[in-house]
Amino acid sequence: MLKPILLVEDNPKDLELTLLALEKTNLANDVVTVRDGAEAIDYLYRKGTYSEREPGNPAVVLLDLKLPKIDGIQVLEMIKAEPNLQAVPVVMLTTSREEKDLTRSYKLGVNAFVVKPVGFREFLEAIQDLGVFWAVLNEPPPGSMKPSPRM
Amino acid sequence: MSASLRPSADLPPRVDLSNCDREQIHIPSSIQPHGMLLVLDPVTLSVIQCSDNIGLLLQKPGDSILGLSLSEIGGLDVGRRLLHHISKAPIQNRPFLLRTVTISDDHRERQYHAIAHRTDYYLILELEAVIAPPSVDDALPDVHAQVDAFTLKAEEAASVAALSQTTAQSIRDLTGFDRVLVYQFDEDWHGIVVGEDGNGELPSLLHHRFPASDIPAPARELYRVNRVRIIPDASYTPVPLTPNLNPLTGRPLDMTFSTLRSVSPIHVEYMKNMQTASSMSVSILQGGRLWGLISCHNHKPMHVPFQERGTCDLFARAFSLRLSALDRAEEFERGIEVKSVFTKLFAVMADSNDFASALSSHADELLAFVAASGAAVATDRGYLLVGKTPTEAEVQMLADCLFKSDNREVYQTDCLSSTYPAAMSFTETASGLLAIAVSKIHAGYVMWFRPEVVRTIQWGGDPKKNVEYVEGQWKIHPRQSFETWKETVHGRSIPWTKNEVDGAGELRNAIVEIVLRKAEEIAELNQELTRSNRELEAFSYSVSHDLRAPLRHIVGYAEILRESVAEKLSEKDQRFINTIIESSEYAGKLVEKLLEFSRLGRAELQFNRIDLNELVTEAQADVMHDAAGRKITWKIDKLPVVVADLMMLRMAVRDLIGNAVKYTRQREEAVIEVGSYSTDSEVVVSVKDNGVGFDMQYADKLFGVFQRLHRWEDFEGTGIGLANVQRVMERHGGRAWADGQEGNGATFYFALPRKNLKE
Repeated sequence: MLKPILLVEDNPKDLELTLLALEKTNLANDVVTVRDGAEAIDYLYRKGTYSEREPGNPAVVLLDLKLPKIDGIQVLEMIKAEPNLQAVPVVMLTTSREEKDLTRSYKLGVNAFVVKPVGFREFLEAIQDLGVFWAVLNEPPPGSMKPSPRM
Repeated sequence: MSASLRPSADLPPRVDLSNCDREQIHIPSSIQPHGMLLVLDPVTLSVIQCSDNIGLLLQKPGDSILGLSLSEIGGLDVGRRLLHHISKAPIQNRPFLLRTVTISDDHRERQYHAIAHRTDYYLILELEAVIAPPSVDDALPDVHAQVDAFTLKAEEAASVAALSQTTAQSIRDLTGFDRVLVYQFDEDWHGIVVGEDGNGELPSLLHHRFPASDIPAPARELYRVNRVRIIPDASYTPVPLTPNLNPLTGRPLDMTFSTLRSVSPIHVEYMKNMQTASSMSVSILQGGRLWGLISCHNHKPMHVPFQERGTCDLFARAFSLRLSALDRAEEFERGIEVKSVFTKLFAVMADSNDFASALSSHADELLAFVAASGAAVATDRGYLLVGKTPTEAEVQMLADCLFKSDNREVYQTDCLSSTYPAAMSFTETASGLLAIAVSKIHAGYVMWFRPEVVRTIQWGGDPKKNVEYVEGQWKIHPRQSFETWKETVHGRSIPWTKNEVDGAGELRNAIVEIVLRKAEEIAELNQELTRSNRELEAFSYSVSHDLRAPLRHIVGYAEILRESVAEKLSEKDQRFINTIIESSEYAGKLVEKLLEFSRLGRAELQFNRIDLNELVTEAQADVMHDAAGRKITWKIDKLPVVVADLMMLRMAVRDLIGNAVKYTRQREEAVIEVGSYSTDSEVVVSVKDNGVGFDMQYADKLFGVFQRLHRWEDFEGTGIGLANVQRVMERHGGRAWADGQEGNGATFYFALPRKNLKE
């Protein structure tokens, strides 16, 4: 059985749109949705509501940056600090292109960074690419000379 | 006047002109022959010492009366009771006239003034011959009327010069000397004649100067203590005292207050050189200091009786009172003047953010403040010059020198070139300098300048003393010649008065206080700015999230809707949906661009070496996505490597290249040229196109936020691109501008300062 995709998103509309986009990618993976950072941690550590879940890490974590309780950056930090979770690819989803978010995420070892585009089509493409090869969506760290694809 | 003004004496170094300063002039152990001196035991009134000429009078050897009481000496009746009286009086060292006594010798009767004073150990009785006996015996001249008349004249004198003049006149009227001088000491003890009255027998010395060595320190001290002395005949032969040493003290007799004291042989020679046979001087004191002398000369011997000398002393004291009043009045007036200008300057500085420009924009007041002809305000931001000053470069060097030599408060000189040789080249603007330090950390000064005042100083003869080698010793002789010796003084200004220097000091305190207050205000403002900047940052962050999210949702749901219902909708309804999507996307783009723009203002610059050709190539590739199928000719020069913030410069280049592509859209063949050139201070990059161009009258609008010069239907866009370019350049200390013509293409330029290249 395929590992599930963990989607951490608090905004119900973004959640719905992301799920719709994932649905259109025809990925076979299950999508587990959690609504805040604390819940994400519970899932990953198999605590609280998720203490009874099947063991095993998700295939990828799609992590919104701005989350209630524990925010995305903190969740990222915890994942990358935990030996058992380090290997799990984390894709930050964010509304902003704020440089400090990007820089911090890269420092913490994020695997990809997706600035949610305004257009749904572009978003759909981004999500579809994620499933196949998320590195294409990589926003380069600020200051590098490499031209970046526009999101 | 400082010592440097005096021409250096052309003498071997080991001969010291201060020899006179060591001469023991108060213990000559001899007297002038116009009287006799007796030193008496204060209790027994027996004679301890006497001048040898008393023997002549008594026709027996002088030493035969030693040990005898006054009353035991035949022919000397000077009033034993009076002597007893003063011997019991508290010690009083000022000589006073006891009475006139008559002493007969073989030939005739002669009258003497008996003058006595006390010292610590003994009583000194002097008998001064009355040369011209008063018409009525013992009748005192009308001192009251004389002093009254003089006081009136002195009160009318409105200046020191007038006071000196009237005093010289009054003294001459009173005494009958050929010439009377009022002689003033400067702070270095050189003398200048400030008032004179004479009958022509002796040459005029008005305004002549005399070197300090003419009246050596011991003489000045003696003059300060004992205010009147007289030499009736300079060609006199001194009369020694017997015994030579005082038996009570074992030392020579202290003759400080003796009226008959024999003067220094050097002084006698000096008088001969001046062709004066007789002289008298009366000291003028002010605040305990010897201010000057009333110096009287006669070409023939003459004597002034004791009482008249006393009157002269009263005149001198009235003079000094009037002098103090004049000084105070002058000081007071100038003080008020300085104060009122100060108040005005203070007000304008307090109202201004910049004390330097406040001061320099009130040039008249700034100069009037200390009666200067030029001023400069030196701060870390530059030099503001007012009136007649040295050049800015000279002022700058001067300020640096002041700072290096640790002048942190008030500095003043009336001869700048004597301490700062470079000032030789600008003596005509700044021989005098008054400077106040207004910063402790850099060369911040307010400076006032005064021009050179070329003065010809008339010395009373060459101010060098002749030195002679006699009997194995260096001997100093006073002037051999009394020719006027002129010296022209260069590099000096009118000196700054105490009021002016004090006023400048006060201004300094005020400036320091104002600067300090402004600094506090700025610090407060900075804090405020930091806070509001943080708020703004938080605000843009939340805008970027919270405003973009709903826009994204509108687009997202509209697209999903379009997909699922498109087939069922009319073309018109489909267009509505498309418009919703387009408008929301545009709104999203606007938000993003605005954020980008605000980020440009806040983000810290990170300098990298950037190959501009690489950046242009990158931008080309980027914008060509939207220009597929168009015919564009690129002419790209070899561009330099610059040092700048990569993200920002990339954005600027992309905006300019993007614009060039966009606004040539209607051309069949677009030609876009990218070139560069360097100046001393800048690297300039130009992007030229053959597009629609613009009307130059809107050139200044081009770089504003949301400024668009074209209709939306012709050229889409947010109206932020060029504002970004401008802001990027501003952040780098550079600039951006444009050239164009409507319908005829445009050239956009940006310039980066070359100094960035060095980083």
